Amino acid sequence: MSHLLEVKNLCKYFPIKSGFLKRTVRTVKAVDDVTFYVKKGETFGLVGESGCGKSTTGRAILRLIEPTSGEVWFDGNNIAELPKSQLRKARRHMQMVFQDPYASLNPQMSVAELIEEPLKVHQMYASAKERKEKVLEIAETVGLNRSQIDRYPHEFSGGQRQRIGIARALSLQPKLIIADEPVSALDVSIQSQVINLMEDLQEEFGLTYIFIAHDLSVVKHISDRVGVMYLGRMVEMGTKHEIYDEGAHPYTQALLSAVPIPNPKLRRERIVLKGDVPNPANPPTGCAFHPRCPKAFERCKQERPQLTHLGGEHYVACHLYDNESIGHRGKG
Amino acid sequence: MADTLLEVKGLKTQFISDKSRIPAVDGVDFNIHRGETLALVGESGCGKSITSLSIMRLIPENGKIVEGKIVFEGEDLTKKSEEEMYHIRGNDIAMIFQEPMTSLNPVLSIGEQLTEGIILHQKLTKQQARSRAIEMLKLVGIPRAEEIMDEYPHQLSGGMRQRIMIAMAMSSNPKLLIADEPTTALDVTIQAQILELMKELKEKFDTSILLITHDLGVVAEMADRVVVMYAGQVVEEADVHTLFEKPAHPYTEGLMKSVPTLEKEQKRLYSIRGIVPSPDEFPKGCRFAPRCDQAMEECLHAQPDLYEIDAGHVVRCFLHKTKEREAKA
Repeated sequence: MSHLLEVKNLCKYFPIKSGFLKRTVRTVKAVDDVTFYVKKGETFGLVGESGCGKSTTGRAILRLIEPTSGEVWFDGNNIAELPKSQLRKARRHMQMVFQDPYASLNPQMSVAELIEEPLKVHQMYASAKERKEKVLEIAETVGLNRSQIDRYPHEFSGGQRQRIGIARALSLQPKLIIADEPVSALDVSIQSQVINLMEDLQEEFGLTYIFIAHDLSVVKHISDRVGVMYLGRMVEMGTKHEIYDEGAHPYTQALLSAVPIPNPKLRRERIVLKGDVPNPANPPTGCAFHPRCPKAFERCKQERPQLTHLGGEHYVACHLYDNESIGHRGKG
Repeated sequence: MADTLLEVKGLKTQFISDKSRIPAVDGVDFNIHRGETLALVGESGCGKSITSLSIMRLIPENGKIVEGKIVFEGEDLTKKSEEEMYHIRGNDIAMIFQEPMTSLNPVLSIGEQLTEGIILHQKLTKQQARSRAIEMLKLVGIPRAEEIMDEYPHQLSGGMRQRIMIAMAMSSNPKLLIADEPTTALDVTIQAQILELMKELKEKFDTSILLITHDLGVVAEMADRVVVMYAGQVVEEADVHTLFEKPAHPYTEGLMKSVPTLEKEQKRLYSIRGIVPSPDEFPKGCRFAPRCDQAMEECLHAQPDLYEIDAGHVVRCFLHKTKEREAKA
């Protein structure tokens, strides 16, 4: 299977300015040397806790925020270096769905206008009539009916608003949709409706998703492959099975064991991590996870681990798994 | 028979304006026993938070308890004066909220906020209150407790702030702790820490907990018994094992099937169709009927009562009306 998207060494640093001259005193490495690929037609889940850089990664791919460095290969183009004029064209094929549909929909536009807007911007159809027909068709695809499309966002519930957000993203027939926490603001019974809708649309239109979420159960359900991020870095990546059943990184293991399971018989011993996620403006040396890691050893404090291939599609950035430390510790 | 600490009976809380009456809580009954954790589960708008605020008598403006009793240790809280409630809150019943930042005062130091309550409710001197506060901070696992006393809420992480809230709530050794979505705003590794802490403290102080949440995972982990609410009413109540093994109400069952879990792989998620009705347009019959796959003719016209289908297991659903008769026979 071919790769639709390849992200190489992506970095996004935010400067912290201070003082009268607004000099940069420090930088926050929100995304720090992140590399991954997304295959055509799959769902790549990106998980991690708040501040891990998963949303920033999503936005930097679309250049909704400018990456500091790195490459984003999509359809033979390096999006990160595309001039503004061509960027707009490329974006037609990569759309975004946001967490809070209410904040991302213009309250003064009706649903029909909201869905039509991207079609106008990208001059997709020759006549207004054709365009309007398309709007109706898209609305119906996401489960909004004809009588609803002249209404305004405030008249809808959260789940229906998310349908409008999805319709907008879908209207341009994109190849890739980056969905940033698309269901986390929704109630449980509505959440499953939206997840099912996204799966149906993927099948119908051959879409590729990057699904960014903090809910590990939702990500497990929807994803084919998963990347785990911690403090701006990709710490583990693999198929759903490799991550959820054979998670190698101590952070992945702790994260998974922290999820409460809706079955009272399975109350279990868990790995409770000590402390909080460190401040990204002042990350720990070496492996960013070492101060909380139950398995950390000396080398973790000094040297930053690189992604190592564990076989299959499984990669992990942890000194427990690179050959050098295995040999070293073996001798000791 | 377990010792009852709190008894909520036929509670109706409404929001009243010139034009309308919104029945946010519409006839809710449940008990909390001493030392037990009762979870109140439901989706947004089901009335779970208003129920807890009614117990504390902290209902937002326009809201009013129009009917029912809230009996705490033999006394009806709905009959208490504002003055008396003031003493009960913070002494006997304490509460923690979802977003600790909005319930902590940003311009007061942690020490000032912690000692305020202690001085007020326990009649200690400033010095005694300070050492009691430090003791509480240590108890909830806050490192550098002495230093934190002089810091401000914005200097702390979300998990730390929730620990402070818990320290504050537990400082008077309350009999009942109401926790309204205490871990919803927290990351999963921090949630695990806070849940552990709550379990520890519950054991230590023998406090009863009313846990309000939408997260079935948290329920399974924490609760002894569960009350499921839908559209202002209790639709099912059972002990936690029965509820997860044999959910009887189609809504409870639907909720459980629609959450993806780490344990089992589902090809496609079950979904409950439609949306939660808003309190000003509740359906005439069973409030869940328009979304229910098993709805019958009578569900559309009449409201089901709560039927007891097993000891301690009650369900508001016509499907179980006959089962109750069998159980009693």
